[in-house]
Amino acid sequence: MELETLRKIRGAKDLVEEVIDAAALQIGEAQRVMTRKPYALLASVPPLATPVRAIEEAHLYTVDGVYFAIRLGNRLFGLIAGLVLDRLEAHARGKPPP
Amino acid sequence: MTDDSRKAAALPTWTATAASILNGCFGDYLNHRENGLAIDMAFYQRGSLQRLTPEGMRDACPAATRKLCVLLHGLCCHEGVWNFPGSPARTYGSSLQDDLGYTPFYLRYNTGLPIPVNGKALDVMLEDLFGAYPEPVDELVLIGHSMGGLVLRGACHYGAERDAAWVKSVSKAFYLGTPHEGAALEKFAHLVTSVLHAVPHPVTALVGDVVNQRSQGVKDLRHGAVINPADFTGAVPWLASAQHYLIAGTVTDDPEHLAAKLFGDGLVQPPQAADNVRLFPGLGHMDLAHDESVYGQIRSWCAST
Repeated sequence: MELETLRKIRGAKDLVEEVIDAAALQIGEAQRVMTRKPYALLASVPPLATPVRAIEEAHLYTVDGVYFAIRLGNRLFGLIAGLVLDRLEAHARGKPPP
Repeated sequence: MTDDSRKAAALPTWTATAASILNGCFGDYLNHRENGLAIDMAFYQRGSLQRLTPEGMRDACPAATRKLCVLLHGLCCHEGVWNFPGSPARTYGSSLQDDLGYTPFYLRYNTGLPIPVNGKALDVMLEDLFGAYPEPVDELVLIGHSMGGLVLRGACHYGAERDAAWVKSVSKAFYLGTPHEGAALEKFAHLVTSVLHAVPHPVTALVGDVVNQRSQGVKDLRHGAVINPADFTGAVPWLASAQHYLIAGTVTDDPEHLAAKLFGDGLVQPPQAADNVRLFPGLGHMDLAHDESVYGQIRSWCAST
């Protein structure tokens, strides 16, 4: 494979990785804001406030966990794809892979 | 070269098309991140990079003439936009070469970068071209489609400002569907993002943020920005030593039709009528880059003194 083609594939890989990361971060933040609204309403009822806060915290942990997993998986995939591209690049240059 | 192989060689690949679209939408980001998909400004001939070295020039222009024409594509496009449908080896450049002896050069650039940045880069590119070209240049004709017209105006301004040699050779500049007064679609996009951000809801703010990620090149189309406002505070200049010709289209065959008045060629409103303005009713924005009647007008203006 030509070096120029590999440079473009790496560019596409980087872009996809950055888009997924930014999207997960932004959507996660928006979901966090929306998740808190009904809980804030319910928590304004004094007898419900304590259990609602506990449920809200668990819910937010889950939301954060899901988006963290997406970002982690994305980073891992990007890392593996980067290593494969490094090898292909080394092969295209005629040098031994790093 | 057979006709078939010439046709195939004239067509940039689908990856070049995809990269051009991506660069138009997010080119400033790609450039900032030094992403491998970011397009570097260069001249291309039949889909291949043309090196601005004396050797590269000799290979690319075996029959170099003293008259040059440089063609600049518009937003999200590449030099393939000049290819006539059904006859991809033919362009305004190749036709001017056959009919009037102009040697054509097709620029490919990152249309997502700010227009003034591309104008400055083109100024340098033209200087390099003149340095590497095997013949002395008597005349230079510039043809810009859409955003390309703004970029060439910027290049002329920056070149004239530093008294570049190439600027003295510019005889004519053609602007095909160029939004000198700004593009309505970008004005609309700006309005939409403002409204989305004004709505106090996380989802509309998120959508507004996504729309706002469009490139600075696109945003510059709102006012038809040619040069950096920090560089020049007066009216946007036109190169005084050259003749300027404006070509525009309309979406309907009747230029007085309401749709033509509202949408122009689909993206850009036609300029005010004048001696150096020609309107082609029924021609859409993209058609302006590869149409027989438009070429006829360019040829006629090029042939006139």
